[in-house]
Amino acid sequence: MTQPDRQPPDDSTLVRIRGLTTVLNGKTIFDALDLDIPRGKITAIMGPSGTGKTTLLKHITGQMRPDAGEIRVNGENVADMSREQLYKMREGIGYLFQNSALLTDFDVFENVAFPLRQHTQLPEVLIRNLVLLKLQAVGLRGAAGLMPNELSGGMARRVALARAIVFDPMLILYDEPFVGLDPVALNQVLKLIRTLNQTLGITSVLVAHELEAVKQIAEHVFLIANGKVVAQGDPKTIANDGSPWTRQFFGGEADGPVPFQYPAGDYAEALGFSGAAK
Amino acid sequence: MNVREPQRNNVVTQSLAQIGACGLFLVTLLAAIPRSFRYVRETIRQLWFVGAMSLTIIMVCGLFVGMVLMLQLYHVLSIFGGTSASGMVVALSVYRELGPVVTALLFAGRAGTSITAEIGLMRATDQIDAMEMMAVDPIAYVATPRFLAGLIAMPLLCCVFCAMAVLGGHLVGVTWLGIDNGTFWSNMTAEVDVHTDIVNGVLLKSLAFGAVVSLIAVFQGFTTPPTSEGVAYATTRTVVASSIAILALDFVLTAFLM
Repeated sequence: MTQPDRQPPDDSTLVRIRGLTTVLNGKTIFDALDLDIPRGKITAIMGPSGTGKTTLLKHITGQMRPDAGEIRVNGENVADMSREQLYKMREGIGYLFQNSALLTDFDVFENVAFPLRQHTQLPEVLIRNLVLLKLQAVGLRGAAGLMPNELSGGMARRVALARAIVFDPMLILYDEPFVGLDPVALNQVLKLIRTLNQTLGITSVLVAHELEAVKQIAEHVFLIANGKVVAQGDPKTIANDGSPWTRQFFGGEADGPVPFQYPAGDYAEALGFSGAAK
Repeated sequence: MNVREPQRNNVVTQSLAQIGACGLFLVTLLAAIPRSFRYVRETIRQLWFVGAMSLTIIMVCGLFVGMVLMLQLYHVLSIFGGTSASGMVVALSVYRELGPVVTALLFAGRAGTSITAEIGLMRATDQIDAMEMMAVDPIAYVATPRFLAGLIAMPLLCCVFCAMAVLGGHLVGVTWLGIDNGTFWSNMTAEVDVHTDIVNGVLLKSLAFGAVVSLIAVFQGFTTPPTSEGVAYATTRTVVASSIAILALDFVLTAFLM
């Protein structure tokens, strides 16, 4: 097995992205994107819909290969990794999917236990205790026997979160973790992300749109638009940095550098008014 | 409404590309077999779903196929005074052709579609991606156990189908139409050859059909667009492609095995 191109791990940066270029169906998603995710911190990636935030997470985990550029996780170039090496790396990464992605054949307990059963030979009693510990952390120990179709969207997300952290990974990627959560659950999830980060030193990357929630926990924010990082910095100050990008995104304005309308032909012509106007 | 125009001009190219992709998928599937040995319990679970759960339809259909066949043969053979041979003809027809082919068609409709729909929905709900992210190989965990289960289940189901068809033939021929019981069995045992009819007919053909149907079902599930419409089309494609493949392969196998 060939070894991936490896650099000594940087103490301050866990994920280093340089010159990332991705073209999907003829559309440029990333155009020489540079981004560093600091180790042991909570980083938020924000941006308008369709700018490739989830795609960026897929690049970090090696689910997608870039057209150009490199992504280094803990010093290792993800694009050079073999399937076995990718799987080895993913054992140290937790991933919370947008739609939870719970395995529908298994109940809540077995969903959380799944990674443990696949990668360890732990005794059943230890697996049980670990799973109950994680379920207690997300407030769903009592739901251990429920099937995924018996859960609300918010509950499913919390189960998926318990599954993502069951291995105590070095890096957790959260794809839209706050969608569908009621205020109580949202508060608990925020607290849990912060606790995991502070007590275990886990690096967290959030893809989210909720600025208020992000402000509470994130230490660094990247704003992505048009395939590049257009703004970055502290979440409390980035919203007020005055650039047209941040003003449009955080102010929720339709007019700005990112067009609200998907490229289309003449509106009046599409409605059939062009002839009447002549 | 955005409706994608079907690309009618390159149907042949697309079909060839599909066959090529299916072939490559088979290579991936076979390469994953050693890795899937650690998921023996999953293979057994799938064997239950595609095999044991298909028993009812296979048994009922086998019984009726045997009954209808005997009824038709009895009326034709009675013209020539050869009704005593009808049991033997039923057995040979079932062992050589009807058993493997009808079992495979029923298997494609019952188990093949459920495999495609299940895997397609797993893809649509990101379960396959979630497995990848948990460092669990979905080919070894999801695809190979279903493929192996189909491969193992098909010959067994075919044996059950054939047994039920002979029983159906016996019910109509001996119990209803009055053919002598001894003549029915003795003609059958005298003319049915274990190698030509049972091994080549029942076992070899059904094994080949099991591999083809399971491969198509798993391939369609893995390659379906992750939408409800995509899953619906993939399920339909499984039945259509399996049926054509079964009948075409049956012709090829018969030509070589006869």
